[in-house]
Amino acid sequence: MKKMIFTILALSITLFAANNNSNIMTSKTLYMQECASCHMGYQTEFLPKRSWIKMMNTLEDHFGVDATFDKEDEERVREYLVSNASDSKRTYGDMKKFSRSISSKSTPLAISEIPKFKREHDEVPKRLIIQKEVKTISNCMACHTDAQKGLYKERNILIPNFGRWDD
Amino acid sequence: MKLISLLLLTFSLSYASVLTDYLDSLDIQAKKDNQGFNGFDKKRGEKIFTSKHLGKKGKEISCVSCHTNNFTQNGENLFTGKLIKPLSPKVNPKRFVKLKTIKKWIKRNFKDVYKREGTALEKGDVITYILSKD
Repeated sequence: MKKMIFTILALSITLFAANNNSNIMTSKTLYMQECASCHMGYQTEFLPKRSWIKMMNTLEDHFGVDATFDKEDEERVREYLVSNASDSKRTYGDMKKFSRSISSKSTPLAISEIPKFKREHDEVPKRLIIQKEVKTISNCMACHTDAQKGLYKERNILIPNFGRWDD
Repeated sequence: MKLISLLLLTFSLSYASVLTDYLDSLDIQAKKDNQGFNGFDKKRGEKIFTSKHLGKKGKEISCVSCHTNNFTQNGENLFTGKLIKPLSPKVNPKRFVKLKTIKKWIKRNFKDVYKREGTALEKGDVITYILSKD
């Protein structure tokens, strides 16, 4: 009986701690938890520091939606985004090409506003984007099947109700 | 077996307490807001959940638009297409577990549909409706 009470206590404490201690979480996990519950967790290297800072300062109206969360957590996500932005580290491949196409005078909030992004997608028929399997141009994963891993090559493209995309 | 039942017991205890505490705090606030407050009501909650309003994005939506009205099923974000896991804590044990998460979503989602945060009474009613349904 004593042993049972002890086990219950120990388990309760563990669960309580697990519920309350968000510090164990890495910043990346926190970013994914807070941002990727509504949309894909976009690779931070697509946008420069100034974009991420503006993004975090305008969460109250984030593309028409209130995306605010716990203030301390917001600070941690801001730090994560800034230190992993396109102009904070060496970038490679598509992310390098995309972020390089951004004019130093502009502060895009949507990756889909980036000039190189627009050029890469301008031949995709609108009906393939607005169809229910895709909905919006910001739904990367709908066609770039490995977008979450940062792979945007042509061989990783499969457009619903269309198939492979060859340029 | 004994360990599993213990785990379940502990889990249900810790789950119940967070939600009960939150509902209690809403109860206190609702009383402060209105002396005549007489407990949360799932019928009122249902109306809050299912009625359509001109939401923040300028489109007529209700909570059902994304969550569906079957809380044991997945929903889908109407605007981004991202999957939303079921609302029912019976099929989705991660629902209503963390206070921070409950508060965050109820505030945001009220703003999405009603363009305002929602009163303690409304929040309590809608949670009561969700829990009554499954």
